[in-house]
Amino acid sequence: MEAYIGEYASGKSEVAVNRAVLLAREGHRVALVDLDIVEPCYTLRPIKKQLMEQGIDVLAWETRETSGLGETGNIMRPANRWALRRPGDVILDIGYGVEGSRTLNLLEGSADDPDLKILAVVNISRPMTARLEDIVEYIGQLGRVDGLINNTHLGDETTAEVVQKGAQMLGRSAELLGLPVVATTAVEDVAERIGPRDCMGNQVWAIRRYMLHTLW
Amino acid sequence: MSDKPIQGEKRVFMTGNEVVAYAALAARAEIMYGYPITPQNEIMHYWTRMAPKYNREFLQTEDELSAGFTTLGGVLAGKKAFTATAGPGNTLMQEPLSMAEAMRLPSVVVVQQRGGPSTATVIYSQQEVTLTTLGGNGEGLRVVYSTSTHQELFDYTIKAFNTAWKYKFPTFVLGDGYQAKMRESLTMYDPGEKGIELIPAEAYLGKPGTPGVDRPPAHYRNTYNVEEELYEVLQGHFKDYEKMAPEVTEYESFGVEDSTLVVVSHGVVARAAKEAVRELREAGVKVGYFRPITLRPLPEKQLREAAARAGRFLVMESAQGQLGRLLKEAIFGAPVEMIPFYKPGVGITSEEVVDKVKATI
Repeated sequence: MEAYIGEYASGKSEVAVNRAVLLAREGHRVALVDLDIVEPCYTLRPIKKQLMEQGIDVLAWETRETSGLGETGNIMRPANRWALRRPGDVILDIGYGVEGSRTLNLLEGSADDPDLKILAVVNISRPMTARLEDIVEYIGQLGRVDGLINNTHLGDETTAEVVQKGAQMLGRSAELLGLPVVATTAVEDVAERIGPRDCMGNQVWAIRRYMLHTLW
Repeated sequence: MSDKPIQGEKRVFMTGNEVVAYAALAARAEIMYGYPITPQNEIMHYWTRMAPKYNREFLQTEDELSAGFTTLGGVLAGKKAFTATAGPGNTLMQEPLSMAEAMRLPSVVVVQQRGGPSTATVIYSQQEVTLTTLGGNGEGLRVVYSTSTHQELFDYTIKAFNTAWKYKFPTFVLGDGYQAKMRESLTMYDPGEKGIELIPAEAYLGKPGTPGVDRPPAHYRNTYNVEEELYEVLQGHFKDYEKMAPEVTEYESFGVEDSTLVVVSHGVVARAAKEAVRELREAGVKVGYFRPITLRPLPEKQLREAAARAGRFLVMESAQGQLGRLLKEAIFGAPVEMIPFYKPGVGITSEEVVDKVKATI
């Protein structure tokens, strides 16, 4: 069970979706849970069908289930509340920064589930988390965090160098925070150039950009 | 603590709303007044996160009427103040901003357009063009920049402060929900390091000296006793506006010289149009591209020239003819056929532009 949290637009959903796809491909039973309660209709909804077709159980609102919720629909989908009790792997995509990270408290079993890992996604090309002291301060505000994910990129302009710089910065941040860096992510061609481990020895997760096809 | 939020040039990956907040910081805005509305919320969120770090201020008001008026209060007190809004909030903002036109108060409003009429969708549209260019009780004495990329959101937000404080007309940066939430890379910079001189704000009230003796009295009016008095003041405003127009008007165009059809669009739709027209021209199709960057004042002269040359405009926008209406007024009498492609509240892709051009040409 993995929960992805972090700064707004740090790439939480992208990493979560890619993790779910990977685990499903490996033959696991996977539930992907959209826990953005600030903008519940916009995150995974547009790619829900595509992901369901890949065998992933996507727990996200659909238009026909809601009543004009728009951005103000801070109602948690009932099934999502019990997501941690599902069999198989559970991937939680938790939207909207520090406030969003508190959504986790609403999940049954989140406080004492021994298998739950809360991973903070960081992109150092995002100005709010560009400097060491800002990253350390920000992660500190998130509450419980079990590990960091280096998701540093510059969209279409991402190079191996950009990603490696992120790995170095995250390495120093992780040391100060006393946390492990769980992985570095990179789109497939960049990941290939970096190899199976980044310059800090972290494993590299090759990802595809699914969120380009979503609304916001 | 550093006074400069951005040191040197930096390539970054951001959402449009964050870009606006950083640009306002870089432009040395001192205070934001605001009321939350999607899709502009993160402008406020990021401003309030950064304000304490850089010694800036924020006031959340009870609605957009109040956000607009308090912004003007800040300006009168000599602060570089701004606000941001969308949709129904923009409607309420028109009342204070028409006061800004009357009193010639520099003010910056960032609008992230959402669907209309009314509260409609929180997502996206280009349906606030009429409201933003001509809204309020008045004559549309304002400048409206329609941005198309995150780089432009940064550049034009900074520029808007200088335009407003130089010419003393309210200045709008017109974005939309897609630009607000979209993520892409841009280069952030400190304007000073780029040679952009930021015009400082000064207090309108409480100046030194005796009013009427050492200096003209600080008498800023939005109300007059008789018609003639108003008429005379307005003539001065119109003259100033006319003088300013050629200095602030901006546009982007290519391929107009050799084409019989020109795609005219603005804002985020112009991204699709630009890509499509480039692609079509590479394939040998004689089609042109014209994008007004300032929707008010419009680049009338260049639009007329393009109209006369090509003879046909394909007007593409995410509204039911709001840009179309402005164009018709600007080029009235020009021998041009206006072909509409209107998708109110919905985005337009480059594939749609290509298909429509092929079907038209």
